[in-house]
Amino acid sequence: MPTYKLTCFNVRGRAELIRLLFAAGEIPYEDVRIEWDKWPELKPISDTPMGQIPTLEVDGQVICQSMAIARFVAGKAGLLGKTNMDQARADMLLDGGMDVGKLFTEMVMEKDASKKAEKKKEFGEKHLPPFLALYEGFAGDNGHFVGDSLTWSDIGFFNMMDFITAEYPGALDGYCKLNKVIDNVKSNPGVAKWLKERPVTNH
Amino acid sequence: MAPKYKFTYFNARGRGELVRLIFAAAGVEYEDVRFDWEQWLAFKAKGTTPMGQIPVLEVDGRMMCQSLAIARYVARETGLCGTTSWEEAQADMFVCGADDLLTNLITVRFEKDEAKKEEGKRDLATYVPNFLANYEKLCGTEGYLVGTSLTYADLAFFNVMHDILKVTSLDKYPKLAKVVEHVTADRGVATWLAKRPDTPS
Repeated sequence: MPTYKLTCFNVRGRAELIRLLFAAGEIPYEDVRIEWDKWPELKPISDTPMGQIPTLEVDGQVICQSMAIARFVAGKAGLLGKTNMDQARADMLLDGGMDVGKLFTEMVMEKDASKKAEKKKEFGEKHLPPFLALYEGFAGDNGHFVGDSLTWSDIGFFNMMDFITAEYPGALDGYCKLNKVIDNVKSNPGVAKWLKERPVTNH
Repeated sequence: MAPKYKFTYFNARGRGELVRLIFAAAGVEYEDVRFDWEQWLAFKAKGTTPMGQIPVLEVDGRMMCQSLAIARYVARETGLCGTTSWEEAQADMFVCGADDLLTNLITVRFEKDEAKKEEGKRDLATYVPNFLANYEKLCGTEGYLVGTSLTYADLAFFNVMHDILKVTSLDKYPKLAKVVEHVTADRGVATWLAKRPDTPS
């Protein structure tokens, strides 16, 4: 059995989707977390392919790029989608989510308090509602985005909303199918266990 | 029966050209629909696109969007995504990294604020050499980024280098130079490069 080692900062951030996928697939891995202040001293001597983390090491070989890693782990966990077209649909929905996630992250990371308040209002009024309405349309009545079983696009949506509902608590109110997606993900045994055990971090 | 593909984007390379290169390398026929701005607005108003954006790919009556999702789908269908799950992950990594650079290039190109544009250009002056150094380090030894034959990772690299190659030589990057050689020598790609519309971006 291959050995997996995931290296990232001690945050959820760009690694949490990967950790959720390892959990859902009940695949053991080493969850290496680097403190932010240690990164500068590691960076020049580190082996990272592109000078960035997260990285995934599998039997001594390393890749980077969080979505490439996530896609690889989703494949190992059997969560990519059953056909090539299903896989493409999952990819499409994840990428669409990331377009909106990027705007959310820009808002969260804004250092100027009044700019941040402005961005928070804009995101909450202009970007989030149409995104949720669109994705409510994409979700099936069964609470899955692709086909009739859990895929990594359900987990990716759950992960993103985990971040977003921390800033916009009632965001998912009234979205029946999206709430079903969230419930399906949370009730996956591996995910449920991880959600109980994972370190609590600000990001 | 072979599926019928219809690919719709602007009359530009932008976020559409990688998909066109994959079809070309695979020797797979497709309808290459190109919109000007008015045609796009009319199409958008129909409300048939999944997320109100192009490019979109239609295949056998189904429509999908998101340029990398489309590229990956076509690469998988045509055998250009790597031969093992690890090779696929490596190809994915290279394609994502190239897309990060493409996003930077597009942002700077279309930036209206002059000060931000100059800052973006300064950032690119360090970003691009870092990118090339990393890719040279990671590149396979056979003249392909991944494995021993052409994948869409090579096409993604070639595509993002379009403007950069006009001002930068790959003398310091012999493995990447070989990748470019392999891509441009591929029969399907060479035919496409000779006949594709010449557009500013």
